[in-house]
Amino acid sequence: MLLEMERITKSYGSVIANKGIDFNLKAGEVHAVVGENGAGKTTLMRILYGMEQATSGTVKLNGRDMRFADPKDAIRSGIGMVHQHFMLFPDFTVAENIVIGREPGAVRFDRKTAVAQVEALTNTYGIRVDPRAKVGDCPLGVQQRVEILKVLHQGAEIIILDEPTGVLTPLEVGELLEAIKKLAGMGKSFILITHKLNEVMSVADRITVLRDGEVTGTLNASDTTVEELSRLMVGRELAPSTKKPANPKANVLELRGVSLAGRGPKSLLSDIHLTVREGEIVGVAGISGNGQSELIQSIAGLMKPDAGTISLLGKDVTGGSARALRDAGLAHIPEDRYIWGANKAATVAETGIMGHQNRLGRYGMLRGKGMKTLVSDWVKRFAIKAGSLDNKTQNLSGGNLQKLIVARELAHKTPFLIAAEPTRGVDIGAMETIHEELLKRRAEGGAILLVSSELSEILSLSDRIVVMYEGSIAGELRVEEASEDKLSLLMAGGGMRHE
Amino acid sequence: MNKIGAWLLSLRGPLIAIVIGLLAGSIAIVVAGGSIAETYTEMWKGAFGSFYFFTSTLSRATPLILVAMGAAVAFRSGFFNLGAEGQMAFGGLSAALIGLHVPGPGWFVCIVAMLGGIVAGGLWSAMAGYFDVRFRVNLLITTMLLNYIASLFAGYLVTYPFKDKTGAGAMAQTQMLEHAVWLPKLFKGMTVHAGFIIAIAAVVILYIYLAKSVKGYEARMLGGNPLFAVYGGVRRTSLMLTTMFASGGLAGLAGAAEVLGSQYRYIDGSFASADYAWTGIMAALLANGNPIGSAVGAFFLAALQTGGMGVELNTDVPLEIGSVIQAVLILFITVKFSWRFMRRKKGAVVDGSAV
Repeated sequence: MLLEMERITKSYGSVIANKGIDFNLKAGEVHAVVGENGAGKTTLMRILYGMEQATSGTVKLNGRDMRFADPKDAIRSGIGMVHQHFMLFPDFTVAENIVIGREPGAVRFDRKTAVAQVEALTNTYGIRVDPRAKVGDCPLGVQQRVEILKVLHQGAEIIILDEPTGVLTPLEVGELLEAIKKLAGMGKSFILITHKLNEVMSVADRITVLRDGEVTGTLNASDTTVEELSRLMVGRELAPSTKKPANPKANVLELRGVSLAGRGPKSLLSDIHLTVREGEIVGVAGISGNGQSELIQSIAGLMKPDAGTISLLGKDVTGGSARALRDAGLAHIPEDRYIWGANKAATVAETGIMGHQNRLGRYGMLRGKGMKTLVSDWVKRFAIKAGSLDNKTQNLSGGNLQKLIVARELAHKTPFLIAAEPTRGVDIGAMETIHEELLKRRAEGGAILLVSSELSEILSLSDRIVVMYEGSIAGELRVEEASEDKLSLLMAGGGMRHE
Repeated sequence: MNKIGAWLLSLRGPLIAIVIGLLAGSIAIVVAGGSIAETYTEMWKGAFGSFYFFTSTLSRATPLILVAMGAAVAFRSGFFNLGAEGQMAFGGLSAALIGLHVPGPGWFVCIVAMLGGIVAGGLWSAMAGYFDVRFRVNLLITTMLLNYIASLFAGYLVTYPFKDKTGAGAMAQTQMLEHAVWLPKLFKGMTVHAGFIIAIAAVVILYIYLAKSVKGYEARMLGGNPLFAVYGGVRRTSLMLTTMFASGGLAGLAGAAEVLGSQYRYIDGSFASADYAWTGIMAALLANGNPIGSAVGAFFLAALQTGGMGVELNTDVPLEIGSVIQAVLILFITVKFSWRFMRRKKGAVVDGSAV
C-alpha cells in the first residue's frame, strides 16, 4: 500500500470534521473521495497535504509513519495538490509558473532551461501546453494542465485534485479525465475530491464516501452505481423529480434587442431577444464568460444596456436601478454569493434579510423579532447549518450561505426570479431542495430565468433553453429536443442557428 | 451573554493599543528625565484629579465626541469623511454669525445657531458626496482638501467683513455673543456646558440608528459590501448624500457647540490649533466606528490632553508627552488597517472554497 491514513480525527473546538477516517491509496490508482459539503473531504486532504494537523490518527507512506508540518514537507515526500482555485500568477508564462519554487539557474533565473524542462515534462507525460504562453491568456482547461505539470515538476507521486472540473467546459473535462487515466497508467496515484458522481464513475478505480466526517463506504467503481453512491452520501433515497409539463401563460420578462458595448472591441451582449412567461423556467446555458453575467446584471438593474428594451410585467424597466427592478417584481439569486449575495462581516440574520428590510420596519426601526422569525423559518426549511443567527456570515460554509440566499430570494414571492447558478457548491440534498423549490415556484405561476453552467441542471429544470455564445444567443431549443451533445455543440460556437 | 462577550472582545484591540501607547509614553518620559510613576500620576490628576479637572476633561471631550460621531457614521456606511476640520469651521462660524445677527429670545437664537451649524457643516460635507456621485472624485481627497478652502474662507470672513472691531487687539475673530445666547454651563464655575449633553444624546441616537433602524441597517450593509447592498435594493446615492450630510452636520454641530458653549465667538484657527477634528476622527477609527467605543475613545483622548497639561504644570516632563502617546495610537490604527487590508486579500481565496 502506497499511502495509509488510519483513524484520522480532526476537531475544531466542539466541531468534529473527521471522525476516525481510514483511507488508503495504491500505486497507480485513482481513488475518489466523494461527499456532500461539510462531509470532511477537504479537511482530510488538508491533513494529508500538511495544511492542518490531525487531532489523532496516523499517516503512513510506504509503510513509514509520517507527519507533515506544512505543505513543503508533503511535497518533499512526493505529495502534490491541485487546488480548486488555481494558484497561478496570471502575468507569468506557463514555464515560469511550473518551475516556481525550484527555478533552474544558480543566481540568475535561467528561463531557457525552464522552458526545456517543461518541454521534457510535456513529452514524458503527453500533456500539451505552450511553455512560453502567458498564463492569464490561457483558457481554464490549460491552466489546470499547468497546475498538474507544476505538481509533476515538484516530483509528486501522489496527486490530490480538489474539485478539478468545477470551472471546465464539458470538452475540457473529457480531456482532464483522459490525462488522469494516462498518468495513472504511468504509475502516478490520484486522489480525486469531487461531488460529480458521473465523473467519478468514469475515471476512478475505488471510491470512498464520506458523510458527516465519517466513512460510509469504500467501494470498487466497477461494483457500484451512481444511485448507491448518492444514497451513501446523503443517507437516504433521493426523491424523483416532480416536474409537471409547463403551461406557460402571459409574458413576464421581455428583452428586445438588448446590447451592451463593453470596453473592448467585442460587444458583451449583442441583440438579445428573450421572453420568460408565467409558469415557465427558461434555462440559459453557455460556457461561463459568454455574456451570461452581463445578461443577468442588465436585467437585474446592476448594469445599463446600451440599446434595446427590457420590460417586466408589461412595464418598461430598461436602465432602472436594482431597487426599481425589485419593486417591479424581480428577485435575484446572484451568480456569485460572496460578491453580490452577502456581507461577510454582517450576521447571518443581517445577510438574510437583505431586500426584506423595508417590510420588516416599523416606524423606521427594524423589528428584531420579526427578523429572527423570518430567518429561523428558512434555516429550518432549508436545513441551513448556521449555529446562531448572530454568527458572522463568513463563518457559514459556501453551501449553507447559498441556501440562505436562495431562501431569501424565494421569500420575496415575486412574479419573476433570476436564478443564477442556484446550486453552485451545494451538496446533493440541498440541490434537491432548491430544485424542488424552483419547480414549486414554477407551478405557482412564477417565471424563472435559470442561468447555469451545469448542463444537467439546465436539462432537468428548464422548459426552454437558450444557449449563449460570445454575447449573443446561439440557439434556442425546447427541452424535449435538447440533449447534452446538442447543447455542448452550441456552447462551443458550433453553428445550427435556430431561426 | 454571547453578545456581551463579543462586544468585550471588540474592545481588546483598542485596549492593547492604549497599553502600548502608555508603554511608549514611559520610554519618552525616561528620555525626558522624568519619573514614570510620578508623570502618570500627575497625568491622572490633571485629567480626573478633582471635580474641576474632571469637568474640564468632559468639556474638552464634547467636540471630540461630536466629531467622532460624524466620522463614525460615515465610516460605518463605507465612506470616509476627513473634512471635519473645515465642516467644524463653517459650523462654528455660522453659529457665531447667527448668534450675533438673528433677533429673538436667547434660547431660540441658540437653537437656531446650532441648527445653522449643522446645516453649514452638513452641506459642505454633502457637497463632497455630490462630487463623488457626479464626477467620481474620491471622497478621501475631496473631504480633506475642502478643509483648506473652508478654514481659509472662514478665516477671511473674520479677518475682513465680520471682524470684531470693538476690541483693542487685532485678533481675527467675530464679536462676542450676548450672554443670553450661550449654551448654559452644567455646573457653576466649571467649563463643561450643555453641549456635552447634546454630544451624549448624539451617541445614543447614532447607536440606535446604526443598530436598530432600517436605514442604519442599509448603511452598515453598504459599508460592509456595497455591491451586496445595491443588489439588495439599497439606494446608494441618496443614502450617501444623507450620510455625508449627517457626518458633516455632526462636525458642524461640534463647532457650533464650541462657539456657543465655551468660546462665545468664532476665533480664526482656534479649532485647528486644538486639533479637535483629527483627534475626533482618530477616536472613531480607534473604535472601528462603533458609536459607544468612539465616544469612550474621544473621552480617553481628551483625558490625555488635559492630563498632559497637568504633567506640564507639576513635573519637568513637557506637555507633549500626551502627543507621544497619541502618535503611537495613530501608528497602531495604521497598522490595523494595513493588516486587515492584507488579510482581506489573502482571505478571498479561503472563503470561496467549500469545507
